[in-house]
Amino acid sequence: MESTLRDLSERALAHALAHGAREAAVGLYRTRFIELKRREGKTETLQASTARGLSIALYVDGRYSSNATSYLVWSELERFLDETLAMTRKLAPDPYRALPDPARYGPTEGVELDLEDASYDRREMAWREQLVAEVEAAALAAGGERVISASADVTTQASESLQIHSNGFRGERRTTSFHLSASVTARDAEGRRPEDYAHAGARHAEGLPEPASVGREAAERALARIGSRKAESRRLPLVVENRAAGRLVSSLLEPLTGASLQQRRSCFADRVGAAIGSPLLTLHDDPLIPRALGSRLYDDEGLRAAPRDLLRDGVLVEYLIDDYYARKLGVPVTGGSTSNLILPAGRASLRELCAPLAEAILVTSFLGGNSNPATGDFSFGVSGFLIRGGERVAPVSEMNITGNHTELWKRLEAVGGDPYPWSSWQLPSLLFSDVQFSGQ
Amino acid sequence: MTPGPDTFAARFGLDDAVYGRLIAAALASGGDFCDLFLQAKTSNVIGLEDGEVNRAFRQSDLGIGIRVVAGDAQGYAFCEELEERSMLEAARVAASIAKSGATLPPQRIVRTPLPDRYPAARPWSGVTTEEKLPLLARLGQRASAADPRIRKVRIRFGDAESHVLVVDSSGRKAYDLQPMTVLYVFCVAEHEGRIEENYHAIGARHGLELYQPELLDSVADEAVAKTLLLFQAVRPAAGEMPVVLAAGSSGILLHEAIGHGMEADFNRKGTSIFSDRIGTAVARPFVSIVDEGTLPSARGSLNVDDEGNPVGCTTLVENGILRSYMHDRVSARHYGVEPTGNGRRESFRQMPLPRMRNTYMLAGPHSKEEIIRSVRRGIYAVSFTNGQVQIGAGDFTFYIKTGYLIEEGKLTTPIKDVNLIGNGPKVLADVEMVGDDLVIDQGGWTCGKDGQSVPVSLGLPTVKVSAITVGGEG
Repeated sequence: MESTLRDLSERALAHALAHGAREAAVGLYRTRFIELKRREGKTETLQASTARGLSIALYVDGRYSSNATSYLVWSELERFLDETLAMTRKLAPDPYRALPDPARYGPTEGVELDLEDASYDRREMAWREQLVAEVEAAALAAGGERVISASADVTTQASESLQIHSNGFRGERRTTSFHLSASVTARDAEGRRPEDYAHAGARHAEGLPEPASVGREAAERALARIGSRKAESRRLPLVVENRAAGRLVSSLLEPLTGASLQQRRSCFADRVGAAIGSPLLTLHDDPLIPRALGSRLYDDEGLRAAPRDLLRDGVLVEYLIDDYYARKLGVPVTGGSTSNLILPAGRASLRELCAPLAEAILVTSFLGGNSNPATGDFSFGVSGFLIRGGERVAPVSEMNITGNHTELWKRLEAVGGDPYPWSSWQLPSLLFSDVQFSGQ
Repeated sequence: MTPGPDTFAARFGLDDAVYGRLIAAALASGGDFCDLFLQAKTSNVIGLEDGEVNRAFRQSDLGIGIRVVAGDAQGYAFCEELEERSMLEAARVAASIAKSGATLPPQRIVRTPLPDRYPAARPWSGVTTEEKLPLLARLGQRASAADPRIRKVRIRFGDAESHVLVVDSSGRKAYDLQPMTVLYVFCVAEHEGRIEENYHAIGARHGLELYQPELLDSVADEAVAKTLLLFQAVRPAAGEMPVVLAAGSSGILLHEAIGHGMEADFNRKGTSIFSDRIGTAVARPFVSIVDEGTLPSARGSLNVDDEGNPVGCTTLVENGILRSYMHDRVSARHYGVEPTGNGRRESFRQMPLPRMRNTYMLAGPHSKEEIIRSVRRGIYAVSFTNGQVQIGAGDFTFYIKTGYLIEEGKLTTPIKDVNLIGNGPKVLADVEMVGDDLVIDQGGWTCGKDGQSVPVSLGLPTVKVSAITVGGEG
């Protein structure tokens, strides 16, 4: 972090403490990014900027506010601090607001996460142009005449952030990321224009796959959607492809947060130690994997990062409880967010997962829908493929799956050996028995 | 004329000479056009939880986005300070999209007068925190005391004031002050061991004057009623069935089924299911759908769009015939038409895109009663949380939070928590009846596209669709 921004953070913290804040926490970030998008053989958009911002949490006379500004000129920042300090004083006190116990602070020591690619600044625009050209060419080659539109995108980012708390925490991190994606729209005989995409992302440029593979995958996926229609309404086994599984897992996690529990809007209240899923359901969170997209040495509250299990063999081990809701609930802090979330993979490929199924639906994408954390009820739009005799026989779309999280995860029957590599959540494909589909 | 002096001149000392130098730098590599989008925005949220207004969040954003257009290509850069040196650097980055080297003559900058579609009697910059606290207290007390089954009440009250200035290389300059407020009341209730949660929201381009006691009470009462209704609610059977959409927030159907697909950027690329269908029949003759940016104080209304274009009413469907896409500057030039005032962006950090404003269907010939009476077995959808669409395939969804079964032409058991999924052109063609009871919804709707969120509104009369696939059980 450049010294002027570092000094500004220290000065903001000192100003808050000198003007009535009992405690304060300052965060400052600076992110340089470039996004290049290519279509029809030429650059369509080029965006490049540096974003910066300062955030400050204020604890004033037992009262709390959290504030952010992008205007980092001291005279303006000083006015912003004075106004937010005054605003905070008008609120009702909240006895549960305080900075975390310093004993719990990170950063975790003795670990090198290697999240910054030293080559970032040597990567020229021509390198990015080459990447998207290869992605686009592969998409067009794989898609052939049925492609209406193919676009390729590269986004690179170099971020640095600083976090300082008045009770001693001091964290600093530098990360880079590189993302490639392609999206392809194809023509079908009935006037529909099915689309799909492919994406890959990594902390280091060398972690990206062969660019052509991204373009090819997007085209193959779009072509595979041609001629899709809804199947009939019935209960069937559900296979969820690895990259789509996050939609189900995120709605499983919402009722497990401290905020949901404290606000009595959780279908999993008082279930620690109980089986809420089949023995295949383990969710392990590991923030300390070198080069992984979700890795970190401390979380948003400054808490030391460590691997943990949220669920083990179907049994709920611990909730996601941040420092504030831990105080409010009177329970220990477990950390309020996930990092690299891992559902331990099995051995089967997606194809092998489908092979024993006489009839099933493979969901490759969710479309809208929602989940109610208080009751566990969910209903999601889906598209994918009808499986018969273990094989994909036809693309399906315009269907819903509907059920309840307290039942669904008990029907997790098999787990693929294919954890999705391009996300902080490394989830494999999942097989559930007996799920309600609605269609025709 | 928008009231008040231009903040960027008055507070930051910027003038037309500075804008002229930025435009010259942005066009130095040969762009066809450029625009500057300056924004100074302050947003506040205060929250009530467990009976206390004990949390506040303020965000202050300031910056400029500079865009250079060269053919169909665009270069974009922003910076978060208004120092000329930094702004010139951003202009040079945006300029790098262009390669022709041709230069355009500088134009004299002239401020465009704007209408005043959202006057705020009590603008948020003059409202103190103390003035907001009693509003939340009143809401919290009323909702908490409404019924012994109500166990938790949470409130989020948001206000914002955004100063925007657009200056472009044709010499056009427009300054607007855009107020916004949203209010969410969430309730959790417990009854015989069951828990249910629901919420009610409103949003508008208003100042503090919006929150009269009657309105506050109605928001609290709605949140409570929508939550308690869930204890009687079931999930309908799975499958295709007739769906009657209640007047008002059911306009989410239009937003997803046709709105996004009529945004011209998708059509320019041929990626929308509505591409190449202008002038063709897509619905029965009593179906007309518009996207209007001029409704007084509506959440999606604008005095000027985020490219400096005038804002009016875009007719998407007129008497069943597909009429016009929604354009931004780039798509309008591609199609050789005038921009429709649909160029919008989340902030100075993003490029403008064709976006919806307030999207609704005009009233039709049928009464609500005869529409419901015409359904033997189906559902009546009342409130919604969210929706989504696949532009090319045309499949879209929206999630019903509350509604009723229709049995033998009558509303019977309440329903909850089901997703509806349909195909845009098919559902439009299947609109069998349109009520005479158009309601523009006042909910706090936000639309997402390409990672950018913008406020919108929507509306619908009572509408019957002959078949949509309803998520359900059994």
